[in-house]
Amino acid sequence: MSELLQQAPSLGNTLWFILAAVVLLVILLGFVTYAIYFERKVIGWMQLRIGPNRVGPLGLLQTVADVTKLLIKEDTRPKNADRALFTLAPILAYAPAFGVLAVMPFTESIQFADLGIGLLYYIALSGITVLGVITAGWASNNKYSLIGGLRSAAQMISYEVPLVMSVVGVVLLTGSMNLREIVEAQRDMWNIIPQFLGFAVFIIAAQAELNRTPFDLPEAESELVSGYHVEYSGFRFAMFMLAEYVYMFGMATLITVLFLGGWLPIIPALDFIPGIVWFVLKFSAYVFLQFWLRATMPRMRADTLMSFAWKVLLPVALVNILLTAVIVSYQQGMF
Amino acid sequence: MLGLAKGLGYTFKKLTEKKVTHFYPDVPFPMPPRFRGIQHFSPEKCIVCNQCARVCPTECIQLTGKPHPDPEKKGKIIDTYDINFEICILCDLCTEVCPTEAIVMTNNFELAAYSRDELYKDLKWLDDNNTNVREEN
Repeated sequence: MSELLQQAPSLGNTLWFILAAVVLLVILLGFVTYAIYFERKVIGWMQLRIGPNRVGPLGLLQTVADVTKLLIKEDTRPKNADRALFTLAPILAYAPAFGVLAVMPFTESIQFADLGIGLLYYIALSGITVLGVITAGWASNNKYSLIGGLRSAAQMISYEVPLVMSVVGVVLLTGSMNLREIVEAQRDMWNIIPQFLGFAVFIIAAQAELNRTPFDLPEAESELVSGYHVEYSGFRFAMFMLAEYVYMFGMATLITVLFLGGWLPIIPALDFIPGIVWFVLKFSAYVFLQFWLRATMPRMRADTLMSFAWKVLLPVALVNILLTAVIVSYQQGMF
Repeated sequence: MLGLAKGLGYTFKKLTEKKVTHFYPDVPFPMPPRFRGIQHFSPEKCIVCNQCARVCPTECIQLTGKPHPDPEKKGKIIDTYDINFEICILCDLCTEVCPTEAIVMTNNFELAAYSRDELYKDLKWLDDNNTNVREEN
């Protein structure tokens, strides 16, 4: 993959790029389809139900049917909506979600671009999605959308701060922002152990970034009739839905790479199992945690949300940075 | 923090527990023995006393009789017997009042249909509706 990027651009390697992106997109769509299916199944099981079981064997085609229904719906747009922004918003929300996957190392060999600042790239791009959300809220010309969009923007921006801060510990420990090097540095010990504090902050802030329970206020159906995408239906709504689950994919990948040792096995003796299997296992564990949390936790209150980010998570993340910095400089013999 | 772990543990335990839902349309749902379902009607027992039609609060029963074909015998036999399940409230009064137990309740209850016409059940249909007949009437 990486050699292609070094070559001079030509028709041949452009086609390769397109093909690779399409393959990733197909894998992603498959993931989203079955993530939704398993989300419904797992929550069903936890609520003593059996979940979707009608469409196809074991209900496996349920999401396919739902998406088909979404796509053949009439494309409605409120009369007074801002036409250009209304169309732009879903694209703005989805494109960065897909873009962040370009730097993700799935195994030693499967990676699209080996950026020196891969981590920074992820954080920078994922910030753009907030714009999509706020644009959607504004362009819909609906008070619920606007409240939902603004809430979402406030939440996503304020939780991005502890999220980034919690990652700084990992960067300090590794001395690199390259995701591949971060994984390689975890050969002896996964970052979850020396960076447990950072991991805890990261997982909470990630939950808020993804707008998932217990931080799903922007989409609170009981108070905001589902937030910034009230006025969206059909294909555009599907884009928002897709962006949400692709972000889950991105976040699961990031957390696997940063804290759970990426494609590395639990103990070196299990090296014969291919790296991608390890990656998928850790990745699935995180995705399962999402569903598990959703089945367990009630929604947080709006007034405690902000103070939790600024007064609890951020100080903890800063303390983590300080501790890591002290330990790293001690190891390098600075005192 | 402890409560959070407790909650997660609780939901995780529920994951494998026996489900409380029923496989209803696939597996028939057993109703309690005194359930009031669709009536079963046996024409040979009916004496055309008209009591069921008179007691019916929604007047959904319509019946006609004819003279007994055997001229030796007195009384009538049933000719037509229709229940309109659009308005029948399955109140059990017709079966309670019937002196010969010609009309009894069953445990069947599936009446959904695509056309209102299908809800007019005639003598033949009610006679054939002879499964899950209630034991005590």
